[in-house]
Amino acid sequence: MLTTPPLSLYVHLPWCVRKCPYCDFNSYTLKGPLPEVAYLSALERDLESQARGLEGRPVISVFFGGGTPSLFPPEAIGRVIEAARRHFIFAADAEITLEANPGTVERGRFEGYRAAGVNRVSLGAQSFDARQLEALGRIHSPEETRRAVEELHAAGLSNFNLDLMYALPGQDVSAAVRDIDAALALQPAHLSHYQLTLEPGTQFAASPPQLPEDDVAAEMLVVCQERLADAGFAQYEVSAYARPGRECRHNLNYWLFGDYVGAGAGAHGKLTDCTTSTVVRTTQQREPRRYQAAAPHAIARVPVPARDLPFEFMMNALRLTQGFEPGLFTARTGLEWDAVAPVIARLEARGLLEIAGELCKPTARGVRFLNESLVEFLPEKPVLTGNPVMSMGS
Amino acid sequence: MRLIRNFSIIAHVDHGKSTLADRFIQLCGGLEDREMQAQVLDSMDLERERGITIKAQSVTLYYRASDGERYQLNMIDTPGHVDFSYEVSRSLAACDGALLVVDASQGVEAQSVANCYTAIDQGLEVVPVINKIDLPSADPDRVKREIEEIIGIDATDASRVSAKTGEGVQELLETLIRRIPPPKGDPEAPLQALIIDSWFDNYVGVVSLVRVVNGVLRVGDKIRVMSTGRSHEVDKLGRFTPKSVPDQMLQTGDVGFVVAGIKDIDGAPVGDTITLDSRPSPQPLPGFKQIKPRVFAGLFPINSDDYEKFRDALAKLRLNDSALHYEPEVSGALGFGFRCGFLGLLHMDIVQERLEREYELELVSSAPTVVYEVLKTDGTVEPVDNPAKLPPQDKIEEIREPIIIANILVPPDYVGAVLKLCSEKRGVQKKMLYLATQVSLQYELPLAEVVLDFFDRLKSVSRGYASFDYEFDRFQAAPLVKLDILINGDRVDALSIIAHRDSAYARGRELVDKMQELIPRQMFEVAVQAAIGSHIIARATVKAMRKNVLAKCYGGDVTRKRKLLEKQKEGKKRMKQLGHVEIPQEAFLAVLKVGRK
Repeated sequence: MLTTPPLSLYVHLPWCVRKCPYCDFNSYTLKGPLPEVAYLSALERDLESQARGLEGRPVISVFFGGGTPSLFPPEAIGRVIEAARRHFIFAADAEITLEANPGTVERGRFEGYRAAGVNRVSLGAQSFDARQLEALGRIHSPEETRRAVEELHAAGLSNFNLDLMYALPGQDVSAAVRDIDAALALQPAHLSHYQLTLEPGTQFAASPPQLPEDDVAAEMLVVCQERLADAGFAQYEVSAYARPGRECRHNLNYWLFGDYVGAGAGAHGKLTDCTTSTVVRTTQQREPRRYQAAAPHAIARVPVPARDLPFEFMMNALRLTQGFEPGLFTARTGLEWDAVAPVIARLEARGLLEIAGELCKPTARGVRFLNESLVEFLPEKPVLTGNPVMSMGS
Repeated sequence: MRLIRNFSIIAHVDHGKSTLADRFIQLCGGLEDREMQAQVLDSMDLERERGITIKAQSVTLYYRASDGERYQLNMIDTPGHVDFSYEVSRSLAACDGALLVVDASQGVEAQSVANCYTAIDQGLEVVPVINKIDLPSADPDRVKREIEEIIGIDATDASRVSAKTGEGVQELLETLIRRIPPPKGDPEAPLQALIIDSWFDNYVGVVSLVRVVNGVLRVGDKIRVMSTGRSHEVDKLGRFTPKSVPDQMLQTGDVGFVVAGIKDIDGAPVGDTITLDSRPSPQPLPGFKQIKPRVFAGLFPINSDDYEKFRDALAKLRLNDSALHYEPEVSGALGFGFRCGFLGLLHMDIVQERLEREYELELVSSAPTVVYEVLKTDGTVEPVDNPAKLPPQDKIEEIREPIIIANILVPPDYVGAVLKLCSEKRGVQKKMLYLATQVSLQYELPLAEVVLDFFDRLKSVSRGYASFDYEFDRFQAAPLVKLDILINGDRVDALSIIAHRDSAYARGRELVDKMQELIPRQMFEVAVQAAIGSHIIARATVKAMRKNVLAKCYGGDVTRKRKLLEKQKEGKKRMKQLGHVEIPQEAFLAVLKVGRK
């Protein structure tokens, strides 16, 4: 039976000083002054409207993502948090993360964010090789990253993440390891370590840089993971590593197929309605000016068809190295375990999954070959009928 | 009847047959200008894409000649590729004359020579036409000499035209009427109508293109298809102009279509005779020579649920492609399918493409092979069209391969290269004749070598100038061995080939290298081996893929990630699963790609 999952809040702040050539997020190079007032008031209307119907559900985490949220001054972030607190109730230990670009944080700024309620920061370091940073179109230098981290420690924000990328243009295994070592030296609580991939619609996809061969990328991963493990960082998701207890609660809620409100331009949300037994996805107008003009009516709600739920659940939950309890599948999707048991058995036989104690989890091999498992949960293509939408009742 | 002319156009690919046909249609007002799609006669998508004619078709035109009479011209199209020469004799059987169209700059090509002889053998009047005289490189006098020298017909009065500009086309129509005789036949005799072609139309059932040889055919007549003995009532008659124009009757000498409510696709076989139920002819017409397929391959639906659909599709194709043979085949690697016989590789290619396009099937084929004869130790001879069915080594006395006689025409500059190619292909020279502008070569060649890539190679070593035609001659013993391919230690029946002992090692090596290139990396290492008997002669390894996972997945938009995974899933579906290994279709055709580099 479907039960009400924990609730998170995602707030999208879409502007950057410059759009990176690899980035496929809904972000925009800032031209002219930041439309702070108009955007914040749209966010407030949005939050107020979306809170309706969610009364009594505590928010366990907030995440300011972008774009570059740190383009917004602490007062602005404070205003959004305040508005959120007005319309939602927050769990006592709610995790509130802000994404920051090392090139946009002047002295003293992190203290301001902390005072505004932020208690976790995700810093886009990407690499510690100046030439790589330039090739990636980043606006910051390795020194600026180090300085930003000093600021974080000084502001008491030691619960921070560093984003790092590997398999960068012309990078070799030892260079990838040097980046890990440089990151570890800064004492982060959490490390996100992604392979650079060429996403459609990006500048890199249009004129691709020379990337390392797959085998080299795979080798980098192996060596970097060893380094991270030695330093006390356990892999808990495909690309996420943390010191014990420092896993990102916000992201964990995504991966455990929890609920989240998505506020801001192009933000996505997912909400469970137990009274109608449906899981609904929400999307917002992508383009910031349109969002500002339309909010709170910039949102669209689409129920997830039941046949898509197993895939969507697994696409998230199987990313976790610890896996999940089969009961969670039923609680989050409302479907019986029988719906996936045959596929699970097949994948178990192929050595991609295992049932260990109370947990269903990917094997070490299963994490590396997750796509091989996921395709098995894809529903067959639907046969199109004349009337895909039916209204019930009157 | 005296105003009817039934004729074909014989021409090599690219010598301008379709353009000339279009020009005729235009001159006779068969279509409005706006209806003139480029090259009306090649109507199958495939034909237009490849610029070749595969199937016979007819067009009826009406022409007011300078003598004041209105003539009915029935133009029956013929295919121009070597694989389809049998279709030519079929089309010619409906004609009383033929236009031999030769490109004024390219000269006579071997294919036209062969078709021209077929026409002469069938008693047709051949009218030479030199086309493309508008080209700067045109040399009509040289081409006239070639026609006389190579083909041996008088070309003094050969028409000189440009189908492109229209120059000389009107005069050609006059010549055609003067030189090609009207059809013979007895309108009072019992009906005999020859089925030139039949195809299946989803709305009306079987449509047949017929030539009325004797008697008259009317709407409402009860007709009898002589081979089946079954009777049908004629619903519709008419001609293609090239639009289908219904009529009440087809007279002696006419060429037109018949619809008679035949739903069964075997109901009106090509080459059969239609007669009247009430007054049957005592004899069927001679019909056509049965064509023996020379190249065989197994075709298998990728989705095993499509087997029935595949069988129906083959039956429908076979209706107007009598050269296509098929029978059920079960492969350990590929499952249930059909062993199909083709005239050549182009034919195979076209059949497979038609099955995939017109019948929406996804197919995988095993390595194509020619038919061998095996003399067994017990003295019996067994034809083998599937290497997997070769008897055990100790039961084989000898293996005999098909040998063809190839006639090649090539300009002197390229003779050396062609000789070298022929000897590389195990050819034995029979004749070599220097003519005015071209050299005529005759070679005996093993068909297996020709099937592989001979045609493409010939074109490439002669910069497109050499042309060739071939006919089957005999079976001949040769040192042949069965070459097997093993994937992760398992012999894959669909990949076995029969190869000459001298080239078996090289081919084995190339095959495994090609397979290694074509098999995508999988979650584990894949070993590809070539073996003769239990002896491994080559090996290559497809390295294991090391990971396959999306780097990022957060709460955002899942549609793009999902699409990516759906694409991976689709890709897997198109592959054939051998044990745990996924093999793409192209890998099964690797055998065709070796030796080309």
